[in-house]
Amino acid sequence: MVSDQQNLLFTYYRSLNCYKGTQIKDVVIKPDAPNSLILDKHADYIAAYGSKKDDYEYTLSEYLRMSGIYWGLTVMDLMGQLDRMNQEEIIDFIKSCQHDCGGISASTGHDPHLLYTLSAVQILTLYDRVKAIDVDKVVDYVRGLQQEDGSFAGDKWGEIDTRFSFCAVATLALLGRLDAVDVGKAVEFVLSCMNFDGGFGCRPGSESHAGQIYCCTGFLSITGQLHQVNADLLGWWLCERQLPSGGLNGRPEKLPDVCYSWWVLAALKIIGRIHWIDKAKLRAFILACQDEETGGFADRPGDMVDPFHTLFGVAGLSLLGDEQIKPVNPVFCMPEDVLQRIGLHPDLLT
Amino acid sequence: MHGRVKVKSTAQQEEEKRKEREKKLKVYLSARDAVFSKKSNGVLDEEALQLTQQLLSSNPDFATLWNFRREILLHLETVKEEEEMQKLYELELLFTESCLKVNPKSYGSWHHRGWVSSRLPRPDWPRELSLCDRCLSVDERNFHCWDYRRFVVKASGVPVSQELRFTDRLIGSNFSNYSSWHYRSTLLPLLQPGTPSPCRKPAHVSPTASPQTHGHRVCEEQLLKEYELVQNAFFTDPNDQSAWFYYRWLLGRAEREEMISCVYVSREGERVTVAFSKLVNAPAEGLVLVLDGQPQQVEWRSVHPLFRHSPVWLCELPPGSISDINNEHNLTVHWTEKHTHRDCALYTGRLESWCRDSATDQELFRSELSIEKTSVLQSELQSCGQLLELEPQNKWCLLTTILLMRALDPLGHERETLAHFQTLKEVDPMRSSYYSDLCSKFMIENTILKMEYAEVRVFSLSDKNLSTLCHLDQLLLVTHINLSSNQLLKLPPQFAMLHCLKVLEADNNAIENLEGLYQLPKLEDVSLRNNHISKLSTLEPLVSCPKLIRLDLRGNPITKTANIQAELAQLLPSVTDLLI
Ligand SMILES: [Zn+2]
Repeated sequence: MVSDQQNLLFTYYRSLNCYKGTQIKDVVIKPDAPNSLILDKHADYIAAYGSKKDDYEYTLSEYLRMSGIYWGLTVMDLMGQLDRMNQEEIIDFIKSCQHDCGGISASTGHDPHLLYTLSAVQILTLYDRVKAIDVDKVVDYVRGLQQEDGSFAGDKWGEIDTRFSFCAVATLALLGRLDAVDVGKAVEFVLSCMNFDGGFGCRPGSESHAGQIYCCTGFLSITGQLHQVNADLLGWWLCERQLPSGGLNGRPEKLPDVCYSWWVLAALKIIGRIHWIDKAKLRAFILACQDEETGGFADRPGDMVDPFHTLFGVAGLSLLGDEQIKPVNPVFCMPEDVLQRIGLHPDLLT
Repeated sequence: MHGRVKVKSTAQQEEEKRKEREKKLKVYLSARDAVFSKKSNGVLDEEALQLTQQLLSSNPDFATLWNFRREILLHLETVKEEEEMQKLYELELLFTESCLKVNPKSYGSWHHRGWVSSRLPRPDWPRELSLCDRCLSVDERNFHCWDYRRFVVKASGVPVSQELRFTDRLIGSNFSNYSSWHYRSTLLPLLQPGTPSPCRKPAHVSPTASPQTHGHRVCEEQLLKEYELVQNAFFTDPNDQSAWFYYRWLLGRAEREEMISCVYVSREGERVTVAFSKLVNAPAEGLVLVLDGQPQQVEWRSVHPLFRHSPVWLCELPPGSISDINNEHNLTVHWTEKHTHRDCALYTGRLESWCRDSATDQELFRSELSIEKTSVLQSELQSCGQLLELEPQNKWCLLTTILLMRALDPLGHERETLAHFQTLKEVDPMRSSYYSDLCSKFMIENTILKMEYAEVRVFSLSDKNLSTLCHLDQLLLVTHINLSSNQLLKLPPQFAMLHCLKVLEADNNAIENLEGLYQLPKLEDVSLRNNHISKLSTLEPLVSCPKLIRLDLRGNPITKTANIQAELAQLLPSVTDLLI
């Protein structure tokens, strides 16, 4: 034993000489970074975003258009500015994206997928216009994607991912049709993706990742199975995502990012451990990711803004208790008042 | 969308960029429209393969294009010879490889590669594995590639031991590799021990087993090797979190056996309360309650309407069935699904009775290593101690030291544990609430152990800096609890598990929520002096406690409200001794 310990000490002293040690990957927030919330600019940014339809970059993102619209509309609703968006045009667009199989695609001409089916149902729920599409067919589509082992494929091509398990139950819960699938088996599959650190990955054996953890805790909330989570262990892993800058990363040794700040924060809220991070520091990080010229949020201070990070920046500030923003639901990432209206109250741990 | 730095540019540069983008847009749109037109007309030809290739090279997330390629390839399978398909699919692999070089994190490219590999008439799995090796040598954290590797390993039957050696190699070249440690955690439970050394549990891994629930089905022998590896890692780089996370998992405890840990029966209440070793939904568990040989029709309810799953459940017995104090009764609760049960006898003249396994019997809060191996933990603790001397501010080492102390002797190390928690909060203030909650948990565990050694039903947790309450299911039989002078913000719904509680003292906290004081059948005396109760509605849960006669609210904001005496008298008519 003694010699073993001498070996270890030797390792340590050697490491002091030649091993640089782990540099914490992080960003520095400059003293002149924005430190107050410029909501009006963000609303203007989102309202203008959809108007540059012949832009190259905009066209390149056509493959996720439906989710893009959901991000934009949700952040507008959270800021109390939903009425600035063109409801009829959007509803017509969604209708044009529903396929014979019932699934909904990101855009016209694209193939249907669970990701965009959920986004479309979220948008329709925001507008209280679910009946604009064929709901029974959506339910059939989701049911048809469940596999023998309880997992869900994203579309008919069979990619399996716990993200799609979340999309499936979230879509059905918003439509009040959770009973259409085998929930017990779906739960079994998601639990089989739980890891040594209490987190979840894409498939059984996949490494934990904050985005997947959000999806899986959200899934377990919707299906009433949150008691199966090891909340103390997972909460520790999640609160260790906070870096000295105040921002949160999605996995160990990664850079902080506004969207990961949302995935981690929402998961902590769902498992009742949101007080384990330093809220003031996170708020300062999120505010520093605003662009004061153009409006909108970027992934990190000084980067280009986009609607995705704008939603998750604003939603994160809402979870942190900012009273200028409507309360957001951590499971669905939709305004609480909308879920209240349809009588949906997903579980949260205390 | 990620990592695009915003750069300032002049008006002229802007104009040039705009023109360039306009040109690119034209080319892109014409290719896209050509593909979409072929797709809607069902033209599944090789020109379509070329067009989609052109588009996907710059935009691999365009999922519909990958789908279209697969449709075309499936069609070509019906018209071409196997040899031609082998060539086509190999070209497809080259193409995905070039896409992955540009964008190694594209879900679409990886999924397509997996699909192609499965369709290939003569798959070349070693080539796929070496692609993973190369990709991981560029970015050892690329989880898409790790997932693809697991797919390849499964498809081609690579032995677990070979993959374990692969992680040895990666960890050997860089300890700071969370992905490799993670992979080990999934491999260890699958490893067959070389010698028939006794594993702690049979290697009975179900297809859906995860390292979280089945992690401790790791051989003791292998476990000891892992300790050594981890020690090397954290002596090389004490600030690298990966090895510490892994170490905490190694030190974790196995699942608790599923059982009924306590049955309590109250003659007066004609009520049975049952505690389980895990959270259950009792009505769905097929419980059978037998009273004096007769199965009873009972309705199980959880202690609080918020809980669908809870470790504590109760039911009422038929009126008059046990109320005569001159009778003896024998009660059994069967948990048929788990093939377990617990008996409880209510003797003549007794008002209540219980039968249970205590936390000390179950060694709830200690390590599960065999006795002869605890010496290993002891030497682990020594190593951590040495590292701590060199790096007294190292939070990972501090926390691990605490965990080792608890695994060895929670009561004996209490004082050092508290000191380490204090240091932790100073060196890592961002997570001080986490450390407070964890310390509270350990203090509650210690108090439970002390109470059980003393065999009393009085539980004192005053002045322990508690920020949260937990393990309340262990306190089912407690009659008196003192929580005064802590930092509690609430008495959570779980508090309703204290079904024998008569006296509650919780003075000098910051309590503003009393949700857990719900349907406590014996609660008589509640003292909540100097807390943050400001609204009458906060006290509403107490309405459901039928025996409440004394309530002390002195020093709460609510006492300043006008007319409070009358309002309280109306809300809680049973309280005769109200102090405000
Ligand atoms: Zn991001």
